[in-house]
Amino acid sequence: MNIKTTGLTRIFRVGSSEITAVNNVSFEIDEAKFIAIVGPSGSGKSTLLNLIGLNDYPTHGKIFIDKKDASLLSGRERRRIRLSRIGFVFQTFNLLPTLTSLENVELPMSLAGKSQKEQREKAVRLLENVSLGDRLRHRPKELSIGEMQRVSIARALANDSEVIIADEPTGELDSKTAKEVIGLLFDVNRKRQTTIVVATHDEKVVEVADTLYTISDGKLKLEN
Amino acid sequence: MSVVAIGATTLRYISIIKEMHTYFNGKIVIVPKGTIVIEGFPIGRSNLPESIADQVEQEVEGVENAVPMLFIYNLEGSLEALPTNFTIGIPYGNWSVLVGPTPLKPGGHWPSADSSKNEVIVGSSVSDQYDLNAGSKIKIEGHDLAVAGVLDTSSALLSRSIIISLEPIQEIYGYNMLVNLIVVEPMKEVGEEELAHRIEEEIQNVKALTDEERTDLARPLISNIETWTLGIRTVLFVLSMIFVTTVAMMNVSERRRDFATLDAIGAPKSFVFKMVITETGLMGLFGGIAGILAGSVAAILIASFYTGIPISLFFPGIFDITPPFLMLEILVSTVTVSCIAGVIPSIAAARMRIAEVLRAEY
Repeated sequence: MNIKTTGLTRIFRVGSSEITAVNNVSFEIDEAKFIAIVGPSGSGKSTLLNLIGLNDYPTHGKIFIDKKDASLLSGRERRRIRLSRIGFVFQTFNLLPTLTSLENVELPMSLAGKSQKEQREKAVRLLENVSLGDRLRHRPKELSIGEMQRVSIARALANDSEVIIADEPTGELDSKTAKEVIGLLFDVNRKRQTTIVVATHDEKVVEVADTLYTISDGKLKLEN
Repeated sequence: MSVVAIGATTLRYISIIKEMHTYFNGKIVIVPKGTIVIEGFPIGRSNLPESIADQVEQEVEGVENAVPMLFIYNLEGSLEALPTNFTIGIPYGNWSVLVGPTPLKPGGHWPSADSSKNEVIVGSSVSDQYDLNAGSKIKIEGHDLAVAGVLDTSSALLSRSIIISLEPIQEIYGYNMLVNLIVVEPMKEVGEEELAHRIEEEIQNVKALTDEERTDLARPLISNIETWTLGIRTVLFVLSMIFVTTVAMMNVSERRRDFATLDAIGAPKSFVFKMVITETGLMGLFGGIAGILAGSVAAILIASFYTGIPISLFFPGIFDITPPFLMLEILVSTVTVSCIAGVIPSIAAARMRIAEVLRAEY
């Protein structure tokens, strides 16, 4: 999946003032790359990820998904892309608290209309791959934060996403667990050829990334 | 709960009035002029001479027979909203005018001509309330009488009645040769309306009511009760709807991150919408079940409070107090109201966007 942006800008209006969270960003995300976007809090990392993940609409500029202008897509088409081609990993995991690990991973497959059997088999396999084979029936509150983030990664992979967008995936984790999660994302990138786009402060993420961008005041800069 | 309690209580009044309509079908009821009448049964203390019954039989053309009756409702022990019981006096040999084919419970017997001055027949509720059986002694206004039998009926009127011969009841209550209602059976070929008109022309100061006239008199009363009930129920349902909407909105607000996550992972709006509607529907279902249980208990407490009848006696007849169709109606209504109340929260949930939620959080 190729994602390209041209002159991407997102302005928020707060009262009478305007905040430019993403400012004229043009860049391209190649397939199967591990991309890190580094910047301080409030620099526009999350807003940029929401834009390229089709969770938000730009004020100006365009996003192209496989050379197709995303602004021409209907809400339903954008949702379908998010469901089947893009996986999300959030800093705060965003697992549904009433569902078990297994059910959280099954959810995107259920929404995609996969059979119960297929959902169950794949969810078990994905959770085993992230070393949570013994935590299938546990609810999020019964898991450690590292385990919750691994469930979140398994959920992002449920529909064989081509791109995983991870917003500060190690932000809530201790250094040891953070290292495990980065290793997991790196494995996914290398073994499955899944594109990983990570917004982070974490130096360890930067070390494994193929491409590094920095962002400051909404302006994106290629570092390598 | 309130809907059930109000519904059950008013339904009981309505069912008693409607049941009264089943008595004296095809017959004319004569009452003193100016008397308030509910389906032929006089309310108040007006009376007329018993001799009018003979006069009607002998002087008015087209009368098959005329049965005088004394209908006394006893408010003792109640709060004067619903009578505790009714004492009805009918001349010996004419009891079938009121009780029809209703049987007696095993062990009882119908009073004979000789014993009818000292024996009464009681309804099943009166029997339960005062622990009376065939052969029991009963004291009415200081007079000692014996229970000859217990009517085997679920009729709201008969089950709460004490039926006695006319003469002793006149003596007991001081109605010397007086009655308050005469039931007239027209001859086969005579029209009810025509005969009623003839009776009113020939007998002074009486009102002769046909079936239709009795129904017309009761209709506004039933209509008023039903309108009030409907009004109260509507207000309660609107209040429930506001309450469910508020609770569901708070619930959606607390779970905004979950709904936004569902949107982020590509869940269709309809999925989120249905999810919240289902939740509010279930809230209505369980709330409805809890309300029916609590409302039925409240209806029993109200009935017991107004009639002085012990609560324990109502429980075997819980479905008489809160009929199954009322329970079903309430359940369907609460689920429907909750689903309607869930529409706005469901739309709010379906519109949650991850970008907005995360921006609001950080």
